[in-house]
Amino acid sequence: MPLLLKGRSFLRNLFFSRRVDSDLEQEVQSQLEILIEEKMRAGMPAAEARRAAKIEMGGVEQLKEQVREERMGNWLQSVLSDCRYALRQLGKNPGSSAVMIFTLALAIGASTAIFSVVYGVLLRPLPYADANRIMAIFEVTAKGTPARLADPNFDDFRDQNRSFGAIAKYDNYVTSISGTGQPTRSMIAHVSPRMLTVFSVHPILGRDFSDGDGKQGAARTALVSYGYWRQELGAPAELSQARLKIDGAEYSVIGVLPNGFRFPADVDLWLPAGLDGEGRSRTSHNYSAVGRLRDGVTVAQANGDISAIARRIHDASNEQGDYLLTDAMVLPLQDSITGEARLPLQVLLGAVGFLLLVACANVANLLLAQASVRERELAIRSALGAGRGRLIRQFLTEAFLLSLVGGGLGVLGAFWGVAGLIALAPGNLPRIENVSINIPVLVFAVLLSTAVAAGLGAFTAARATAGDMRKGLAEGGRGEAGSQRSQRVGQIIVATQIAITLVLVVGAGLLGRSLMKVLEVNPGFRVDKIVAMDVALPWVDDHKVKASRGIFFANLIDRLKQIPGVRTVGATSVLPMAEGGLPDGMFLLASRDEAPKSMDELVAMMIRQKDRMGIADFCAATDGYFQALGIPLLRGRMFEASDGANSPHVALISESLARERWPNQDPLGHTIEIGNMDSDLRLLTIVGIVGDTHEYGLDVAPRPTVYVNLLQRPSPAISVTMLSDADTRSVTAAARGILQELDPEIPASFQTFSQVYSASLRPRRFNVILVGFFGIVALLLATAGVFGVMAYAVNRRTREIGVRVALGASTGHVLRMVLGEGLRTICIGVGIGIAGALALTRTMEALLFGITANDPLTFGGVTLLLVGAALLACYIPARRAMKVDPMVALRYE
Amino acid sequence: MSPEQTSLLQGTLDLLILKSLRAGEMHGLGVSRRIQQITGGTFVVKPGSLFPALHRMEEEGWITAFWGESENNRRAKYYRLSKPGMKQLEAETKRWSRISLAIGQALETS
Repeated sequence: MPLLLKGRSFLRNLFFSRRVDSDLEQEVQSQLEILIEEKMRAGMPAAEARRAAKIEMGGVEQLKEQVREERMGNWLQSVLSDCRYALRQLGKNPGSSAVMIFTLALAIGASTAIFSVVYGVLLRPLPYADANRIMAIFEVTAKGTPARLADPNFDDFRDQNRSFGAIAKYDNYVTSISGTGQPTRSMIAHVSPRMLTVFSVHPILGRDFSDGDGKQGAARTALVSYGYWRQELGAPAELSQARLKIDGAEYSVIGVLPNGFRFPADVDLWLPAGLDGEGRSRTSHNYSAVGRLRDGVTVAQANGDISAIARRIHDASNEQGDYLLTDAMVLPLQDSITGEARLPLQVLLGAVGFLLLVACANVANLLLAQASVRERELAIRSALGAGRGRLIRQFLTEAFLLSLVGGGLGVLGAFWGVAGLIALAPGNLPRIENVSINIPVLVFAVLLSTAVAAGLGAFTAARATAGDMRKGLAEGGRGEAGSQRSQRVGQIIVATQIAITLVLVVGAGLLGRSLMKVLEVNPGFRVDKIVAMDVALPWVDDHKVKASRGIFFANLIDRLKQIPGVRTVGATSVLPMAEGGLPDGMFLLASRDEAPKSMDELVAMMIRQKDRMGIADFCAATDGYFQALGIPLLRGRMFEASDGANSPHVALISESLARERWPNQDPLGHTIEIGNMDSDLRLLTIVGIVGDTHEYGLDVAPRPTVYVNLLQRPSPAISVTMLSDADTRSVTAAARGILQELDPEIPASFQTFSQVYSASLRPRRFNVILVGFFGIVALLLATAGVFGVMAYAVNRRTREIGVRVALGASTGHVLRMVLGEGLRTICIGVGIGIAGALALTRTMEALLFGITANDPLTFGGVTLLLVGAALLACYIPARRAMKVDPMVALRYE
Repeated sequence: MSPEQTSLLQGTLDLLILKSLRAGEMHGLGVSRRIQQITGGTFVVKPGSLFPALHRMEEEGWITAFWGESENNRRAKYYRLSKPGMKQLEAETKRWSRISLAIGQALETS
């Protein structure tokens, strides 16, 4: 009951405050009248009675104020009145308030946008049940790097582990699918039967794989993604009629997976692995693996478990060499997906954090400047009885108002900013589909704004209410000591700003110079005027299929050459700088009479003759490929028409492989065996040496590469490269038509090679643009900060300057005096900044290329830039100081 | 202020107000007079303390307020004890006796 009454009073006081107030006024007045009457009846004359009554009642206004203070909900009233007052205060300086709000909006908006990316990519949990229990499993090579799993190794992990409730392997690639309306190029995955169990996912229609579906020779079954079921199959409720032709075999669709599940990324069809038998080598890393931890098992325990199994395999195997696992490891799946993005995003977060600090410093300085003007007002309020707490609350309210408005505008801007970030982001940024302004990001924005408000408010309040405030009432207004202290604080803030800005701009400079150094690298091939067409024929290991594949490619290339405007046509198994890269493996320096007759024999030979092995990337290409991309033939000869399917197989090797593996010999004429890479056991004769190319990107050194002739050893998926002077669209349309004629079940996808090239540079560009933007904004803010503090200082010292000039100081002396102080602050800031930058840039070393983290050119350049900007900012106030007229200054109050 | 003016704890002031209003309805000044009377002049409650207390107690529901006519037909705001207020008075009275007994005992032992 009392609660109800209190609630009612609270609401009454809130909404009917005027009525409550007038009621109080009437009550007090009536009591006063009664008191006067009493005194008059007791014999006092009217005037005296009135005075005596008033004295007895006490101050009417103070009485009313005391009653108000006791009221329920008074705290809310005073907060609201603080808000009204704060609004008035901000309105008094609209320009200054606008600048502060805009600065905060920029900083909070940028922080929110970056955080939304960090959250969506790194922090947000994977969309699976208990996703932190799902682990990625890797082998560890002799060099200590993680690698995928070989079939027999996976089997051993699966059978011998004690840590995982379910464990599965997967491999994914793009291939052509037909059997529905339009043939598509889709990502498919070969998975072991327990795949869905690992992710705790169940089909929404049909059934999951059973163990029988994965046995060699079993009937071919497939699971489809929700999107594929809807778009390509037409969402049938019954799956018995759904049949697809994949890699030359027919599969029946047995289940549809829930909307949103597409692991590995972008997969639309899941097929059982091992239907055509499994690999037997423990060094062919064919599969990736995942597993779900058993309840109660920790990651460390699982690591130890798997590691022990790996070491057992290593010790027992006779396939020793660089490619045999020496250990194995287990990593949470989320970390393995997002691991590479972590450092760049952390750098971005740090950069935007620095920007936020610089922005807040500017706002703090502006607030301080305003507060010093309000000294008199504060003194009066203090004299009227406002406690220090009340005044501090006033400053906090103003800071909160600024932050709320600035933060609100910032979040609105962040919507637009996030869209821009997504557009700018590199294609390989994982989980980018998760990036948006959602609830956790908004919570972050609110918390950030609150923290900024609390920081600014507390700081301003502490400065403004320090010391005896009543001094402000004295004539002349400002005590010398107080002004010196607030000037010192302003200088400290500016020095800090300069330091932080220096670190930020150095970071941007290092990233920028890295990008420039990368662009200076000669890729080893031509980039422009090349149209790339990706074509995927069925992945079948039959040698008759392979022969017809070679003929198909030869036909295709011949027809494409006829397209008007096309100068050269070539094909390669993997386009440089495209995602994925070339497979790498071992080859054997075999002599002519040593050709193995079976895979097992090859494996045995490789184990026996470890000293005659080499390691290289494996690529299949045509002569047109080298011509189209301008990769030079350095020695020997190119692939020729005489190198037919039944002629001796030939190979080209890259320059670095020749240097590495044949340092004192001529590799031309030597024979090698590389059948472990494409199941073709025929020996290859090296006939030519070609120039190195940056297959993996300009910032990765060229790797030794073996090129086999695509027409002799056709890999199923190729990229056709067409060098043409005609425009891209016409070439694309013509090529599409030709392919359609040759085989309507094989779709193609097109891109220009310069698109691929730009895409490979996008990660660097992304970092440079963002950190550069933050750096420039911080520089502008810091310059404005220096300007503000200098102008304020000169303003304060106008009288002093006037006195000095009147006493005979030259303008040069005044200039030196003013600039000297400014320079000192700048130097301190720069000094701290350089020290900080030297320490911090080490963390981003992995992102740099061609320069060290302490690159003196960058450091020197940025320092000069910053000092120059700061001096420029001091220039105007200094000139004003020089022009001070002593007569005016001394009269100025 | 009389030399005997002692600072009243909020709780004691509430108790005295409730006790005064038990005798009947009064306006603010009347309550002040009554308190002075029943405490034998020891407590002279100034309006600056009384009116905030009256308003607070009204919001808590122990007393209710209404506008009425004073002795000389002047409009004045009157206060009366409510039922919860009556209960509060009884409870506070009991508590006060317990406390004063305890303190008295404590002061008598050497």
